[in-house]
Amino acid sequence: MINCKKNPYAFINAEVLKVAEETSNIKTFTLKPSEDISFRAGQFMDVTLPGVGEAPFTPSSNHDHKGTLDFTIMSAGRVTKLIHQLKPGDTVGLRGPYGTKYPLDLFKGKEVFIVGGGVGLAPLRALLYALFNEVNDYKKIILRYGARSSGDIVYKDEIGTWKDRADHVDVLVSCDVGDASWSGHVGLVTTILKTEGLDVNNAVSIVCGPPIMMKFATFKLMDLGFKEDQIYLSMEKNMSCGIGKCGHCRIGPYYACKDGPVFPYDKIKDLPNIWD
Amino acid sequence: MQNNTYIISKKDLFDLFGRLAISSRVVVPYLNGDKLFFDDFNSAKEDSIELGGIRQSQPFKSFISPVRERMIGTDPTDRRPLIVAGVKGCDLSSLVLQDFVFQDGDVEDPFYVQSRKNTTIIAADCTYAKETCFCMAMEGAPYPRKFFDLSIASVDNYFLVEVGSPKGQKIVDDFRTFFKLVPIHSIDVRQSLRDRVTKQIEGFISKRETPNTTKIKGMVKKNYDRTEFWTAMASTCVECGACNLACPTCHCFLLFDEKDASGVKRFRAWDACLYNTFARVAGNHNPRKHLYERLRNRFDKKFEFFPAVLNYFACTGCGRCIEACPGDIDIREVLKGLVLERWNKPPHD
Repeated sequence: MINCKKNPYAFINAEVLKVAEETSNIKTFTLKPSEDISFRAGQFMDVTLPGVGEAPFTPSSNHDHKGTLDFTIMSAGRVTKLIHQLKPGDTVGLRGPYGTKYPLDLFKGKEVFIVGGGVGLAPLRALLYALFNEVNDYKKIILRYGARSSGDIVYKDEIGTWKDRADHVDVLVSCDVGDASWSGHVGLVTTILKTEGLDVNNAVSIVCGPPIMMKFATFKLMDLGFKEDQIYLSMEKNMSCGIGKCGHCRIGPYYACKDGPVFPYDKIKDLPNIWD
Repeated sequence: MQNNTYIISKKDLFDLFGRLAISSRVVVPYLNGDKLFFDDFNSAKEDSIELGGIRQSQPFKSFISPVRERMIGTDPTDRRPLIVAGVKGCDLSSLVLQDFVFQDGDVEDPFYVQSRKNTTIIAADCTYAKETCFCMAMEGAPYPRKFFDLSIASVDNYFLVEVGSPKGQKIVDDFRTFFKLVPIHSIDVRQSLRDRVTKQIEGFISKRETPNTTKIKGMVKKNYDRTEFWTAMASTCVECGACNLACPTCHCFLLFDEKDASGVKRFRAWDACLYNTFARVAGNHNPRKHLYERLRNRFDKKFEFFPAVLNYFACTGCGRCIEACPGDIDIREVLKGLVLERWNKPPHD
């Protein structure tokens, strides 16, 4: 028997501790793995339903927090639909972490401009907590988040508290469509991307969301003066094995699972079909 | 005379296979019609064993990375040692890529490494070529150059044996009585046979104007956005994936899980990038929705990706995909179309 450390396709068990309903189709699962797992914000892991299948997700919790991991998962396919039926006490499998982390060292001393869309806030939550761990190392921490409607906003109870972490943290949420329960900004996330009060030359932007949102957010950021190497994207591809062997997540000369999923835009901008 | 070459008679070679088969699984090629197929050595079927000829219909990779393999709950160290005889130059070339992906990368694939270690390769010279052979255009050769433990070539009434590794040398040492000294002219005879097959393949290549790697370099990238070309090339594709499965360099696989009374199982099976689902992600996003994009991806992976990351063109010129394609898509014609920027196939409506 190839043991877990040697067999990269084997998983370790994790217990579901908590299930929090974020929206009608998004839940956050708090998992307690049977062995310590150390990940860095931006990396992803494969969550297995034993005997059913696995799918890749970026943990959404603080990477310095030991013992448990959060995964915020949208019900969007065969495996995630079944993941959504999990209850506290159930067991899942975990393998990883895989891929690149957000290069926090490069962000230090800079204004960090984070742009999220929908469930794309999950890896950005891990990033935000990582930034909050050393909050004074960053000049500004700005979050611009867009959801389809107020009912589609994830981490509703937390988002409001993030700006209280420090004076230089700024959070703004927009909904594509307004309704009676929403008194905030209405419009696509790109309509709240503004550079007032921002020193673009000393800033980095991190974008995560659906492909179409990442595309237009990236173009908007370029319009606002961000350079290609100042924008970091989390690319969603069919990452399966996690170790650059199964071939599914290729983007040009890279595999999203090992060379990404976080890519600086200048590294991939000329590659075909990156927004599809 | 070289000190790492020997001769062995056909009878002694088959006796050797029989002796080896006591403790190992010995696989040899059999002639069936005009095609060759690998199967377990069976002394009762010696008459149809053809060690020379051309490459077999199955790619050799199937012995190292099985079509379907259990990843959880299996023990690769339990496998019997495997000896595969008659492996041809085009399959040996593919090991550059397979080793790169599974053995020499950042993370070792323990299943591949174990199989590779467990397998002894007795390679063989091609004794003729088929019209679909174009290894010479892909920097290959119709005879073993590396990656073999022993290589054999039919010379006169015996086989000339060359040792390629300590593993091969051990077979010679263990069965020393089977191996005789090499008559002086044998290596020259082998060379002239190699020259003859080489020339035959060069003839096929020039007659078809199949471009070589120098000409192919960068051409997929250059013609990437030429949608009408790729659409025309894919017009008869039925998305069966046969080209992927027959290919000695295709390495992509699908991980999937099953559960039964005996517990949870994880398998991998060969996958095909021509399939619609290959790159699809949740929410029905698919970076390669169109069939022409998936056909183009196959060429992009072989002739741009691997040259970029490994300086290796991921085609060995074995011609299996030409033979396997029910839509008559000919990799040589696609490459020619790219290089000459003209093609005959009409785009499909």
